[in-house]
Amino acid sequence: MQAQYVLIGNSAATLAAIDSIRRYDQQGRVILINREQGPAYSRVALPYYIGGEMSLDDLLIRRYDDYQRQGVDLVDGATAIGIDAGAAEVVLADGRKVRYEKLLIGTGSACIAPSIRGLDTVTPHYLWTLDEAKSMKAAAKKAHTALIIGGGFTGMLVAEALRKLHVRLTIIEMTAQLLPQLLDAEAGTLFTQAVRDQGVMLRLGSRVEAVAPRNGQVEATLSNGATLAADMLVVAAGVRPNLSCVANGPCAVSTGILVDEHLSTDCTGIYTAGDVAEVKDFLSAGRTIHAIWPTAVDQGRVAGACMAGAKVVYPGSLGMNVVKLFKLTLAQLGRFREEPDDDVKLLSGGRDLYRKVVVDRDGVIVGAVYVGDENGVAEMGVIHGMIRRRTKWRDLARYHLPRLTYATLVHAAAHHG
Amino acid sequence: MKQIIVHQEKCTACRDCELACSFSHEGVFNPALSRIHVNDFYEEQFYLPMTCVHCAEAPCAIVCPTVAISKEPDGQILVHGERCIGCKMCLLACPFGVMGFHSQTGVAHNCDLCLHIPDGPQCVAFCVPKALEYTDVETAATAQQKIYAATIQKSLLAQAGQSAH
Repeated sequence: MQAQYVLIGNSAATLAAIDSIRRYDQQGRVILINREQGPAYSRVALPYYIGGEMSLDDLLIRRYDDYQRQGVDLVDGATAIGIDAGAAEVVLADGRKVRYEKLLIGTGSACIAPSIRGLDTVTPHYLWTLDEAKSMKAAAKKAHTALIIGGGFTGMLVAEALRKLHVRLTIIEMTAQLLPQLLDAEAGTLFTQAVRDQGVMLRLGSRVEAVAPRNGQVEATLSNGATLAADMLVVAAGVRPNLSCVANGPCAVSTGILVDEHLSTDCTGIYTAGDVAEVKDFLSAGRTIHAIWPTAVDQGRVAGACMAGAKVVYPGSLGMNVVKLFKLTLAQLGRFREEPDDDVKLLSGGRDLYRKVVVDRDGVIVGAVYVGDENGVAEMGVIHGMIRRRTKWRDLARYHLPRLTYATLVHAAAHHG
Repeated sequence: MKQIIVHQEKCTACRDCELACSFSHEGVFNPALSRIHVNDFYEEQFYLPMTCVHCAEAPCAIVCPTVAISKEPDGQILVHGERCIGCKMCLLACPFGVMGFHSQTGVAHNCDLCLHIPDGPQCVAFCVPKALEYTDVETAATAQQKIYAATIQKSLLAQAGQSAH
């Protein structure tokens, strides 16, 4: 097999790249190497499938027709195990080789299996692929109780889904708060209370030392010696870049695959995007991996354009997330946990529980965190725009509004420029 | 493509547009369910109705993880409620803050230009001072942004001039 464009992965980054490639090049052949089977589904929506709100069909974000219409050959069930940069070939697990002119590595993340004694003696449930979601859903239907290791984003989404299936939950999180990547300490406290109010047992600041099967259940031993038992065990200990196809080279790798401003790796013709790429951070001079859907889409668009010959520059990744969990809407943008030279602006009003904007030493808005109902998220969108445009807080400081709106900016410009 | 253009200086903040929008889509007069909102700065009598500008490169449609937001061949940005999981990533992506969320149905909504009504957008139809206009725009998607941008740019230039001294 060979094609002008070869893409590894079938999710946010590679799908966005295909759209982007087709803007610039309607002819070049595209091959997409898909480790799983069938058209792409939305990974973000998997918890909603587990919770019974979406069918398998609802999860699909592409159909076979879509690939055909875009002139993409979808190669299902094919795992890339290596890249021969000299021969410009991707090596598949079944021995086949795919020759490329331009290659995009969009292999995403892999779940971290924590070093817990006895993890191989039980059946832990992870949530990354559709197959894992199906197996978790099947187990949850038979389970009355579950232990969830990890109170981060995935862990809490699984908790919400299992709760809808009336599974009683205990969440074990090693840090002192839930959602440490999304909420600061104060917002975390508000959220923790909301979760407890829904009858979920929490073990914060706890670590699972060992797990073992016992009487048809899983028993976990915590670092303080306490034991907990439940019908099923979910491991949501975070993700790391899925680097399996570049384990033996050819690209330079740190935590993820390193890129330049066009998302090209240090190998000619090889690009990368999404969770597997270690990219420029929009806010700092450093590199980062946010492992979120919007960032994967942005990078896929840039990489696709560059693969097709355009010289698009990636502006950098900005962390952002929003989710409704346990009746609270939570949102985060950029640097939401202030650093020593930063200034914090607390906004209050209405039914919001918590609104905070972080401003750097130059007065530029760099982050925000929100806890409340869904009405506050549009404002976070406006703040997102402000962060992207490096807006200064002083342009807005005179406003004592229930909400910052885009109109605030227009007004500030018209009357107080 | 036809687009709703805002003539800010004509707006009196009567908010009939909000009621018309709510009634057209929900059958009730509830400004909270409106997809157009009047921002008011009463001290200066500065009123700015804001609604979806149907961006050419719409961040909401680009970011949607369930492909629930489409860009129609005519340029309209439409939310398909049956595909929406209510994740609100589109609200977080919209720099104008004009993507809305329907708290009862749990899905995102934006101005759909009242495509279901032959008369066109009801906010425009009921805008007495004619601050809203439904009109063909050459580059429809960017016309509104240009108006906002020009206002901001004017003062930013003035600001830059001041800080140079």
